[in-house]
Amino acid sequence: MKKAFTVARWEFFEKVKSKTFIISLFLTPAIIIAFSVLPTLMATGESDTTKAIGILDLTQEYFSDFKDEIEVYKLKSSIPAYAILNNFKPGLTADSLIKSADAMVIENKLDGYILIRQNGADSVKVEFRTKSIGNFQDIARFEEAFNNLRIKRKLVAENVSPQIIEFIKQRINVNQVKIEKPGEEGKGGFEMVFFSSIIFILLLMMMIIYSGQMLVRSMLEEKSNRLIEILISSCTPQDLLFGKVFGLSTLGFTQVLVWLLIGFSLIGAAIVPISSFDNIHLILLYFILGFIFYTTLFVGIGSVASTEQEAQQITSYLSLLLVLPSIFIISTLQNPDSSLVKIFSYIPFTLPSVMILRVNVSPIPLWEIAVTVLIMIFSITLTIKISAKIFRFGILYYGKMPTLAEIKVWLKD
Amino acid sequence: MLEVKNLVKTYGQLKAVDNLTFAVKPGKIFGMLGPNGAGKTTTIRTILNIIKPNSGEVLLNRKPVTPELFNSIGYLPEERGLYKKSKVWDIIIYFAHLKGMNSSLIKSEADKWLKKLEIPHYKDRKVEELSKGNQQKIQFITAVIHNPELLILDEPFSGFDPINQQLIKDVILDLLDNGKIIILSTHQMDTAEKLCNEILLINEGKEVLSGSLSEIKQKFGGNHIKFSYEGDVKFLSDLNEVISFELYSNEAEIQLKDDIKPEAFLRKIIDRVTIKQFSIIEPTLNKIFIDSIKNKN
Repeated sequence: MKKAFTVARWEFFEKVKSKTFIISLFLTPAIIIAFSVLPTLMATGESDTTKAIGILDLTQEYFSDFKDEIEVYKLKSSIPAYAILNNFKPGLTADSLIKSADAMVIENKLDGYILIRQNGADSVKVEFRTKSIGNFQDIARFEEAFNNLRIKRKLVAENVSPQIIEFIKQRINVNQVKIEKPGEEGKGGFEMVFFSSIIFILLLMMMIIYSGQMLVRSMLEEKSNRLIEILISSCTPQDLLFGKVFGLSTLGFTQVLVWLLIGFSLIGAAIVPISSFDNIHLILLYFILGFIFYTTLFVGIGSVASTEQEAQQITSYLSLLLVLPSIFIISTLQNPDSSLVKIFSYIPFTLPSVMILRVNVSPIPLWEIAVTVLIMIFSITLTIKISAKIFRFGILYYGKMPTLAEIKVWLKD
Repeated sequence: MLEVKNLVKTYGQLKAVDNLTFAVKPGKIFGMLGPNGAGKTTTIRTILNIIKPNSGEVLLNRKPVTPELFNSIGYLPEERGLYKKSKVWDIIIYFAHLKGMNSSLIKSEADKWLKKLEIPHYKDRKVEELSKGNQQKIQFITAVIHNPELLILDEPFSGFDPINQQLIKDVILDLLDNGKIIILSTHQMDTAEKLCNEILLINEGKEVLSGSLSEIKQKFGGNHIKFSYEGDVKFLSDLNEVISFELYSNEAEIQLKDDIKPEAFLRKIIDRVTIKQFSIIEPTLNKIFIDSIKNKN
């Protein structure tokens, strides 16, 4: 056991001193922050220039009222958000009007235009035609403006009093509130939960992949220069395996610690809200368990590689297994109690990331936490046993990759 | 004393080590010789408990080699290599720790060995900045720093220039004086001949020859001559007197039939080639090696 710690200390200090580690230590959080904060900033950030919007009203019924409704929207500096232009000219066919309006958009004279035409006897069809689609805010505003206009007209025609019209125009939005304990509201909406979960899952994945690759590569070095023979004539393969996993885990947690410190200092700067760290103890628990599980797996399976390509193959397959649960991020968030999500939170490969997500989305009963943690501990013990056996043979295995049949023989020995 | 008894190791159909038995006494260098793929490395790995034999046992001072004995074994593998990005000093300390040395002793021993191998100024350098020879010296230090009782050296001289070969030879002889058990595995027959007292020659996992060097030479026996020459000696293969011969760059080593007198042979060839030197010799280890392996095949 003493020798395992010697190995762990070596693995830790040699890697901590390396340039790649120091770079990744600061580069990774920078990337994550860029990925998680920038889209939010960009999505909510308003455009600060007035947009030139045309209206081509082929029904000739809505233009002036619609214009008034849209011009209600102002930019921060109380300048109108939209400058409205009438694209309708009498005496021209609908087709030529649409073509000339399209041309104005293409030539950048307009940011886009709204096309209103009759759709059957009692309905109209409205299109916002623009070069770049995807601005949800504009669409939402045009939609609201047009619907308000239609409802108001109909009600006026039916002689409804103006007060009632105002009442109907007022919209009520439904807000989502997360409950953690009776009477206690959780903070943060969907985006918040989404981003804080993503941060930790991204962290976990990047860390596992990064240190997994480092591990497999260093084993490959030891194998190719036969240092491995000196190592295992000095300590047992179990010592070596334990030392490597322990050393790298310590390294990983040093990394997380630094990242958390960066995270907390960003809370101070109000970039990352404190609610991202509400369930930090549970998140860290699953994080650590997941990390140890995968690292052990990497050591065992990685030990059979004897060329750089094989090592890359092995690490990318394992990483794929690891990234798999991220497919379910959205569905987990939308429906954390679905049976699929439940199943994945009992499979050791997906358990850590799914649980990190679930912990953030909805409160989890204590028994489930206990069961999942036990599953992880059991799986880790099992992988250590299996990995140690594969490792013992794998580190002395050169040439082509061993077949499953060969590995079976190793496991029996 | 190291005892290896009835060692067998198979890889599938291949018998890498086939019922090998030998003993290595302290204070003498034991030479393990054999052509490529003879099973030397497998034998060494089994002794070191790196791989498990199918049958047979390995005893160091009457105790089986288990992880508890790891600290009293030093090993220099044939293929060299160290952590390239790490510092010389750190690596020496690491391996010394792995061999169970305590920290206070490690530093003084590491300094002593760096000085002994004439590289104390490299202690803070990274391994990749060192020449191949100096890297090998570092590896040699990691094999001996913990003062092992059993030292296994696989081709310890390859890659060294003659001056450093001499340096390493002196160090090995020094260790011998301290009563170490030393196994030397090599292809360099002249080195083995100069250093080893006991020889084990193996081929295809089996023992071919074993015993003390002088015994082996006696047993091999025969009527041997050596001459250096200028010219062409192809005619040697046509002579009835010659049993076998080995040609070196301008030297020939010949085993004559037992009833042939060397001087008669000299008279016979002196007109056909310019002889610069002629001597009656014991067979060299090289000749013994080649003949034994060829005969077996």
